[in-house]
Amino acid sequence: MSEPILSARNLQKAYGKRAVLKGVTLNVPRGVVVGLVGSNGAGKSTFLKCLLGLLRPTAGSIRLLGEEGWELTPATKAKIGYVPQTNRLYPWFNVSQMIAYTAAFYPAWDEGLVTRLIAQSGLDPKQRVSSLSTGQAQRLSIILALGHQPEVLILDEPAASLDPLARREVLTSLLEAAQNENRTILFSTHIMSDLERVASHVALLRDGQIDLFEELDSLKDRVKRLRVSANHDLPHDLAIPGSLRTQVDGHFATVAVNHATAASVADLEHRWQASIEVEDLNLEEIYLELNHR
Amino acid sequence: MPSGLPLIVQPSSGVPIYRQLIDQIRAMVAGGKLAAGSSLPSVRALAQELDINMMTVSKAYSRLEAEGYLVRDRGVGMRVAGEAAGSAAARLEELAPLSHELVARGRQLSLTDQQILGSVRSELKSQTKPS
Repeated sequence: MSEPILSARNLQKAYGKRAVLKGVTLNVPRGVVVGLVGSNGAGKSTFLKCLLGLLRPTAGSIRLLGEEGWELTPATKAKIGYVPQTNRLYPWFNVSQMIAYTAAFYPAWDEGLVTRLIAQSGLDPKQRVSSLSTGQAQRLSIILALGHQPEVLILDEPAASLDPLARREVLTSLLEAAQNENRTILFSTHIMSDLERVASHVALLRDGQIDLFEELDSLKDRVKRLRVSANHDLPHDLAIPGSLRTQVDGHFATVAVNHATAASVADLEHRWQASIEVEDLNLEEIYLELNHR
Repeated sequence: MPSGLPLIVQPSSGVPIYRQLIDQIRAMVAGGKLAAGSSLPSVRALAQELDINMMTVSKAYSRLEAEGYLVRDRGVGMRVAGEAAGSAAARLEELAPLSHELVARGRQLSLTDQQILGSVRSELKSQTKPS
């Protein structure tokens, strides 16, 4: 396998005595779209800032495109696109001035691409930046981050403060960005439904560590909720291999399991003399079940 | 350009999107809505139309190819396989998981077999086939 685009090893970051990242280890291959999830304050922004060299790690290593985050060379920085949580647009420019200003920083600016993306987005090049809606401003920020055709695109909560319509527009921009199969995209979010359309992979940051990094599809194929019903009382300490959370109520039980297969379910039905229904879970439900551990 | 395929994805359903696509395309092939030899939209076009990741579409197509529902035309895209349009047995197999679920729900509600069958009959009547 080729070298990962992003690789963190035992990354730690503390603000004074408060440890935020407590040994993050993660390897992200090229071409994937990763949704980085975690509760508020889990350290998502801190992680992204260490990755981009905006914060210096306390210990451990974090490498992006083969270079340590804190020591990224200008040549490597030119291959990265970054959309921060709050936009860095200048309100006194109009859209096309904002584009021209940004383009001046990049020798390899793809004007044709930007013109096409602006046309698709429905943004008016003559419109003042100050009069753009939050969603439009966010879309412009993403387009500006794509103008130099970055190999890696990093977005910090790109849709957090947007209404559903604007969120959908931002997701569309992300999908456009993902059409380049060599591009790796990493975005943080605490809104699970944003992720389910766009991301190929999920990284779960919990208590300062990456708890899980997996293909979204395989995660959904694997984590299930079993509804057990029997003609007799089920034991309160119902032991089911790989269970995340068990609730027993007389003849019935619901059990979230880490790895459901047809064989394991049939085996349980036999063992407990019960019938079992397997329920699919969406990402939000999976997230909640995983957080119960 | 819309593909004309009546595909619906529900990203927040527990079923992975690629499996939603597989299930629906399979059903359309088995039911003859997608005739043998007809071509499917490109990965890019379908991803754009449904607002989903291209990887998701290409995964669904690859699985359907492995299962023999679709064949890859070099340079042209995917087509429905020749003899895919299903026998009655194959179409019934598509329905089996739903029947399973229906019966399980009925039992949970302490309905008798007669009552469950009655419910299916009245549903059949209300969705009378346009002939």
